Amino acid sequence: MKKLLYGLWGVAFLVGLIGVGQRILYGHQLAGYGSYVVWGLWVAAYIYFIGLSAGAFLLSSLVYVFGVKRLEKIGKLSLFTALVTLFMALLSIWFDLGHMGRFWKVYTSFAWESMMAWMVWLYTAYFILLLVETWFVMKPDLVRWSSRTGFEGTLARRLTFGQSDISTAVLEKDKRTIKALATVGIPLAVAFHGGVGALFGVIGARPYWHSALFPILFLVGALASGGALLTAIVAFFWPRDGKAEHEELVALMGKITLGLLVFDFLLEWAEVSIALWGSIPSHVAGFKLMLFGPYWWVFWIVHLLLGGVVPVALLTLWPSSTSAVGTAAALIAATFMSVRLNIVIPALAVPEFEGLISAYTDARLQFYYFPTLHEWLLMMFVVTVGIALFNIGFRTLPLVQTKES
Amino acid sequence: MRTKNAQRNGSARRDFLKAILVGPALAGGLPRQVKDPEAAETQRSLPDLPEGDGPILRMQRELRRALQKPLEQRRWIMVIDLRKCVGCSACTIGCIAENRLPPGVVYRPVVEEEIGAYPHVTRRFTPRPCMQCDNPPCVPVCPVKATYKRPDGIVEINYEQCIGCRYCVTACPYSARTFDFGENYTDRTPKRQPYETSPSPEYGRSWDRTNGKSPAGNVRKCQFCIHRLNAGMLPACVTTCVGLATYFGDWNDHDSLVAELIGKPNVIRLKEEMGTQPKVYYLL
Amino acid sequence: MATDGDVVKGKESWCRRVSRRKFLRTSALLGGSALVARGAVRLLDSTSPAEAAYLVPTRDYDLARPQNIIYSVCQQCNTQCGIKVKIHNGTAVKIDGNPFSPWTMVPHLAYRTSPFKAAAVDGLLCPKGQAGIQSAYDPYRLVKVLKRAGRRGEGKWITIPFQQAIEEIVEGGFLFKHVAGEETRNIEGLRSIRALTDAKLAGEMSDDVARIWKKELTVADFKTKYKDHLHLLIDPDHPDLGPKNNQFVFMWGRLKGGRGDLVSRFVKDSFGTVNAHGHTTVCQGSLYFTGKAMSEQYLLDEKELKHKWAGGKKFYWQADTEKSEFIIFVGASPFEANYGPTNRASRISTGLADGRLKFAVLDPRLSKAAARAWKWLPIKPGTEGAMALALIRWVIENKRYDEKYLRNANKAAAQTGGESTWCNAAWLIKIDKDGRPAGFLRGSEVGLPKIKKVLSDKKSGKERPYEFDPFLVAVEGKLVPFDPYDEKNAVEGDLQVNTEIAGTRIKSAFRILWEEASSRSIEDWAEICGIKAEDIVTLAREFTSHGKKAAADIHRGVSQHTNGFYNVLAWFTLNLLIGNYDWAGGMAQASTYDPGGGKAFAAKLPDGSEIKWAQPFPVGRLGGDKAIPFGIDIIRANAKYEETTIFNGYPARRPWFPLSSDVYQEIIPSAGDAYPYPIKALFLYMGTPVYALPAGHTNIEILADVNKIPLFVTSDIVIGETSTYADYIFPDCSYLERWEFAGSHPNMVWKVQPIRQPAIAPLTETVKVFGEEMPMALEAMLLAIAEKMGLPGFGKDAFGEGKDFRRAEDLYVRMVANIAAGDKPGQEVPDADDQEVKLFLDSRKHLPRTVFDAERWERIAGTWWRKVIYVLNRGGRFDDYKDGYDGAQLKNKYGTLINLFQEKTAKTKNSMTGKAFPGVATYVPAPLDALGRPVEDEKDGYTLNLITYREVFHTKSRTAADYWLLALLPENSIIMNVRDADRLGLRDGSWVRVVSASNPEGIWDLKNGAKIPMVGKVKVIQGIRPGVVAFSLGHGHWAYGAGSAVIDGKRIAGDPRRGRGVHANAALRVDPVIENTCLSDLTGGSAVFYDTKAKLVKV
Ligand SMILES: Nc1nc2c(c(=O)[nH]1)N[C@H]1C(S)=C(S)[C@@H](COP(=O)(O)OP(=O)(O)OC[C@H]3O[C@@H](n4cnc5c(=O)[nH]c(N)nc54)[C@H](O)[C@@H]3O)O[C@H]1N2
Ligand SMILES: Nc1nc2c(c(=O)[nH]1)N[C@H]1C(S)=C(S)[C@@H](COP(=O)(O)OP(=O)(O)OC[C@H]3O[C@@H](n4cnc5c(=O)[nH]c(N)nc54)[C@H](O)[C@@H]3O)O[C@H]1N2
Ligand code: SF4
Ligand code: SF4
Ligand code: SF4
Ligand code: SF4
Ligand code: SF4
Ligand SMILES: [Mo]
Repeated sequence: MKKLLYGLWGVAFLVGLIGVGQRILYGHQLAGYGSYVVWGLWVAAYIYFIGLSAGAFLLSSLVYVFGVKRLEKIGKLSLFTALVTLFMALLSIWFDLGHMGRFWKVYTSFAWESMMAWMVWLYTAYFILLLVETWFVMKPDLVRWSSRTGFEGTLARRLTFGQSDISTAVLEKDKRTIKALATVGIPLAVAFHGGVGALFGVIGARPYWHSALFPILFLVGALASGGALLTAIVAFFWPRDGKAEHEELVALMGKITLGLLVFDFLLEWAEVSIALWGSIPSHVAGFKLMLFGPYWWVFWIVHLLLGGVVPVALLTLWPSSTSAVGTAAALIAATFMSVRLNIVIPALAVPEFEGLISAYTDARLQFYYFPTLHEWLLMMFVVTVGIALFNIGFRTLPLVQTKES
Repeated sequence: MRTKNAQRNGSARRDFLKAILVGPALAGGLPRQVKDPEAAETQRSLPDLPEGDGPILRMQRELRRALQKPLEQRRWIMVIDLRKCVGCSACTIGCIAENRLPPGVVYRPVVEEEIGAYPHVTRRFTPRPCMQCDNPPCVPVCPVKATYKRPDGIVEINYEQCIGCRYCVTACPYSARTFDFGENYTDRTPKRQPYETSPSPEYGRSWDRTNGKSPAGNVRKCQFCIHRLNAGMLPACVTTCVGLATYFGDWNDHDSLVAELIGKPNVIRLKEEMGTQPKVYYLL
Repeated sequence: MATDGDVVKGKESWCRRVSRRKFLRTSALLGGSALVARGAVRLLDSTSPAEAAYLVPTRDYDLARPQNIIYSVCQQCNTQCGIKVKIHNGTAVKIDGNPFSPWTMVPHLAYRTSPFKAAAVDGLLCPKGQAGIQSAYDPYRLVKVLKRAGRRGEGKWITIPFQQAIEEIVEGGFLFKHVAGEETRNIEGLRSIRALTDAKLAGEMSDDVARIWKKELTVADFKTKYKDHLHLLIDPDHPDLGPKNNQFVFMWGRLKGGRGDLVSRFVKDSFGTVNAHGHTTVCQGSLYFTGKAMSEQYLLDEKELKHKWAGGKKFYWQADTEKSEFIIFVGASPFEANYGPTNRASRISTGLADGRLKFAVLDPRLSKAAARAWKWLPIKPGTEGAMALALIRWVIENKRYDEKYLRNANKAAAQTGGESTWCNAAWLIKIDKDGRPAGFLRGSEVGLPKIKKVLSDKKSGKERPYEFDPFLVAVEGKLVPFDPYDEKNAVEGDLQVNTEIAGTRIKSAFRILWEEASSRSIEDWAEICGIKAEDIVTLAREFTSHGKKAAADIHRGVSQHTNGFYNVLAWFTLNLLIGNYDWAGGMAQASTYDPGGGKAFAAKLPDGSEIKWAQPFPVGRLGGDKAIPFGIDIIRANAKYEETTIFNGYPARRPWFPLSSDVYQEIIPSAGDAYPYPIKALFLYMGTPVYALPAGHTNIEILADVNKIPLFVTSDIVIGETSTYADYIFPDCSYLERWEFAGSHPNMVWKVQPIRQPAIAPLTETVKVFGEEMPMALEAMLLAIAEKMGLPGFGKDAFGEGKDFRRAEDLYVRMVANIAAGDKPGQEVPDADDQEVKLFLDSRKHLPRTVFDAERWERIAGTWWRKVIYVLNRGGRFDDYKDGYDGAQLKNKYGTLINLFQEKTAKTKNSMTGKAFPGVATYVPAPLDALGRPVEDEKDGYTLNLITYREVFHTKSRTAADYWLLALLPENSIIMNVRDADRLGLRDGSWVRVVSASNPEGIWDLKNGAKIPMVGKVKVIQGIRPGVVAFSLGHGHWAYGAGSAVIDGKRIAGDPRRGRGVHANAALRVDPVIENTCLSDLTGGSAVFYDTKAKLVKV
């Protein structure tokens, strides 16, 4: 079984590498988005991953800021998940740039008015914060693991950066540091993820995005999807010792996820219904596309059915079954991508001028978009890299509170 | 002349630095402007214009007149008379040829609509260049300040600075920005043709976009043919306009043809309600 | 040239082909070698942020420099606008309008403007003109001679050396023994086809054939007289079929001056065949030939000393859009097509915005012009003549015509009234027993004496007396004789004359017109046209409310019907009623500087001295024996059926066209039917009858048959829909690489001669002819054949002593000199100054010696050299803006009689019915077949009237190569009214097949196994008359780079972008009588485009 999974991963990774090769050789030529639907799968993936990251982080803060004991065991894992998904997000968006080699300019240009610039700065801060915080929370374990032999030990030794003092005093101090970091992290995560919402929300040209609800919707979405992802991880990857405790934890997380999901749907309902009732053509157009356009199934089947109805059913019918909760959570986490796609694409797929489509035609001047194979390949690369990082971390770092610790 | 301009350049650079150093509070609120980078360029002695009448020569003379002034005192505007537009798209193609635009990049499409019901029908043609908005939503969103409003009102994209994130594309209410995917019209034919590999003269530079170089990978848009203005010439879509429907000039010059044209009740601007303050006017 | 030369000359390159990259957006895998690095990611960019805050210009705008500019002439469509080709690094990168040309700048620059000053001024240009770069730099262009390697149309080719191709064509033989089925086919070469080489003998035979026609000589006598030479004739029993030379047929599509002179010299003057035919009738045939009939003059035939109607010009009039106040555009599309979107649209839109101009459009389709019109009247196709007669009726009834003008019967009367033209409205006409206007009443018929006149022979000075029988008008019941060209005695006549003289009914032409117009009430006319009667009245009132500044401007929508001739005549007659010819804002004709060099001038001054003046180079002159072609041509346009020896009662086997010429649709089908004789070799230059003709598919069958067309050679720039059937394709230079003298169009009031000249290095292979290196092109091909055959008029002393014709420029530079000289003494252009000479050389640095050789040119031009430069530096010669007008009149005048009644037409017989053609405007319903019977396909359920039109974005078969234009309109549609769509259950975007009674399958059968369905998308609109559906011209290609070909064993795949949309010409109606040709207008020759009834079948 394991071999099979590794094999699958290997194949996926190699195929994904083809996507990277294509991206390097052909630039954006193999991508399916164009000059009108100017953002595609990768941007959607980016907000998806960033959402997961923010969600995971905010959950971790329950432990480190609010000291929620019952979740303590997933604290480190949450942080690490946040780190990995953040990395995936950044990788996705980096590939999306027209000039990847110029990403650094964002740091040197001081574009104060740009939501996107703020985003980048905030991620960077957040990334650093995540690294530091993760390090602090792992420090005791790292020090402990330093004595181990083999790779784990070597890695742990390296990562201690020469620190070996894990006296209670030091740990107390660390705890305060962690709390401080986590506390700073909350507004940061809220800011940047709400900010991602704002990144879209401020665009007056796109009525579909131009809603004050967007930042909040993004946050709630982040929590729901991030929470779901963690729940799934905990449900499926947790070491099988302490079964009861594990089941209890999963059940709790399932409840949280359910709550967040329901709240998210509520907000979505608000968005859609208000737009449809208002029925200002330019405003509804995007929603109509989402609901009844060529990709109606993304909303109805992927999002609503697989990401809504089914998980809610699972979570309410078998709230304490680890596998049911895990499956529901995995479904929510995975299908949330559809929400992200439905945020990015429909807004852009609505012509700003009637007749623009035939004024000058080109494959790039269409209001039709579906990701190309190349885009999927590259996405596969990002996901396989994420899985690898997670797996390596999961296996080599002291992320999970085992009995031993 | 030269030294004076050099000075202005120097001070422009200082102003710019000041704006950075003073920080967001100051720089943030105002529409971002950059002073004339190379006033000297536009004030080089240009060959005389021929004698003659007609709107084109008149506008070109007015353009030369405007070039005598410092950049920040010019206010370029475009006026498109929809009664005269014959829907030929010569401007669309003239612009593409002039700026060497690749597939998927178009600065001035002409949008056509049919109005009315048989037999009382008509057709309307609306050319849509970049509006060079005075309050351009595309500018503040840029994370690297690659796009900004020049003192003469033109919204420019610095291809060397642009990272190709395409955020500005989403922000423009006029779909005036398109992305250069690095493609060519003669892709997938027996041979790439020389007109496609010849560098673009935009912004008075030479942009060789082969091998993924800028502006491939950048967002591009109409820039009122700055390179032609510098050479004392009207934008390509103005000179090529088959209906003689496109006018161009300096709004600050009260004797200019464009100033004359927009002082009429039949003037509108597109999507004015967005607060963009377009600098392209339409006559109905 | 560095850019492409290496590839062009590469051994296996047939077109400029390096490597074909196969990559699809979604499927490309690593290793797309040619693509590597194209989109390469740069991990670190070197620009520093500080510098990046603004873009400092770093280069001069080199396209504003006169050294990078060559002025030439567009040929993306036939408007022939002046262009300014801008060169960067040796290649054309941008094309703008030429500011010296009145086509492309309003108002245009004074001719004397320095090109240095003009450099920064760009003129306007339509999108097709801009996209011309892509026609020249087309990846599918041919650079080497292709020879057929499979069956005709199979699309298999080999490349062969130029000289070999020439050798094979000239000498013939078993040229296609490598093709299955043709192993034993011996092809007669041109040398053998050109049987009659003795010009003197030809001249005699020609005269005797004319005598046979006049019944002055019998065929038997002819045969005895020429018993030794009968083998030179196609058929000794029918000497009037002419010599075997006639079995060589040269046809062309778009041909202008220069190349036209070359072709005519080669085909007629040297080869000696009568068969040189253009494409006029597919274009606007009946416009030209009605113009011809209306401009016939009563001239003295100096040989016979008899007056005849002759000298009619193949031309027509258009409205002066610059000054007009009211124009009715009928079946004319000045914003999208016509001549053209540039010069007309600019003037119309200005007139509109200024309030000067108001216009109406009569067109079943809401054209872009109609969208700006004061009134759009969606007329029923084919009823244009009825509409004009309705207007005529109202104008006459309400006395809104220019009575004074119409009463002028001769030149003197016209002149006293300040008119330069006059018409025969008042002239008296005899009505025959059947009530038909038969001909003019003449003085001798009412007992008046003939006028005695003398012709003094210029050469001998001999005086030759002759008589002139005067025409007559009635003035208050009294008959007044007159000479139409009399400049002294002004004669005016009454308009409404209807009387009887000696038992013969006599009417004035005007009266006859009135009777035609009043044969129906306005309401009845309105009913026929599908227009409201009150609209007709409003239109007529407006038309007659602007004095002479109103015009009815007509084009293909009027002429390309079976009744085209009479539609055109009715509208031109309407213009006559307000006498707007030669008036500013009225009807204008084209005027050009003559490049032919034929103009000469001699005068005696009062002091007795003589001045003599002539253009420097009469290039029509032939050193050596000029051939005298004679005999009936293959399209039967140069003879009267009844006079010939093949007269065989009515109907004739195929129609004859005694009133027209260049009957494009007749050439190939006539050869197919071997009527009047079979042909042996067909050359086609820059034409594509298969694609262009209505029912062009009928030509495929014949072209694919090697027995009907034994040798088929084309000159083309790509493998087109027609050249795909050729035996040999000779690559030509595109319009940016070559010469032509583009002439003018009727709406252009200035006297001009735009010159097309090489602006970019030729892309075709270099070849050697007459010892000279030159690019492969039409010139090289014809010169090489002439060299091989030793034809007169080519090579040494071809233009007269010391004037060789070894290469294109030997002809063209001389023609430029003629233009520089002008048509009259004192019209010479100035000399180019030193600076301009330098500029001339500098701006041609990128041209190789094969097309630009200043020393040689200078030698040719001699003392005219600097003037030649002056002209070429401006792209031709254009009169100044102010010289277009002469007060309220046009400066360049038609200036003579216009026939409201055409005696010559009225005396010419329809070869199918044996009845004479009407001589005055009349309404003939459409469509009629060749026998004059109605074609009533609607009875078989074909209820939609299928028409066609141009989009401004495309030109005929020729813009499939222009990717920018394809982006503007990637595919055409079948446009139809919402009401029809609803009725037929069709929706916007529905796919339909176009079928008609003569193509019920709705296909193009390519006769190579492939059948292309005529399937297109429906576009549902409001702006078209219900019951009418239309498709635009230019899409639906299967060749021209859209289909694939195998060359030297390698498959060259087509580009699917070039083949989108639908071309429904094969659905246009085949004449049920002739069966292999479209419907035609037998009077004016038009191929019929708009009289087909069709069905749209959902697919
Ligand atoms: N459906 C429809 N059909 C129409 C019309 C319409 O309105 N509707 N209009 C008709 C009219 S008005 C016309 S004039 C005819 C025109 O019909 P034609 O004169 O027969 O053809 P063109 O389309 O001008 O193209 C001639 C061919 O010449 C070749 N060619 C292009 N450039 C060059 C060159 O530089 N040198 C040489 N040697 N060859 C070249 C190309 O293969 C091209 O296909 O089409 C007619 N056909
Ligand atoms: N864009 C473009 N311009 C061109 C050319 C080109 O190919 N493309 N070709 C050039 C050439 S060769 C020519 S001959 C000219 C042709 O120039 P035009 O004759 O002006 O153009 P067309 O579009 O062929 O036809 C004119 C109009 O007739 C209308 N029409 C069709 N059927 C009927 C009818 O039965 N009755 C009436 N009243 N109207 C009808 C059509 O809708 C169209 O608007 O254009 C020249 N200019
Ligand atoms: S039209 Fe669009 S791109 Fe142009 S300035 Fe305004 S917002 Fe920016
Ligand atoms: S695409 Fe370029 S110009 Fe536009 S926002 Fe991004 S960096 Fe700025
Ligand atoms: S001003 Fe220049 S860049 Fe802008 S649309 Fe016109 S031609 Fe294009
Ligand atoms: S070139 Fe002029 S007339 Fe033609 S579409 Fe453009 S604006 Fe209109
Ligand atoms: S109207 Fe015809 S000739 Fe003139 S620029 Fe356009 S395509 Fe060329
Ligand atoms: Mo034509």
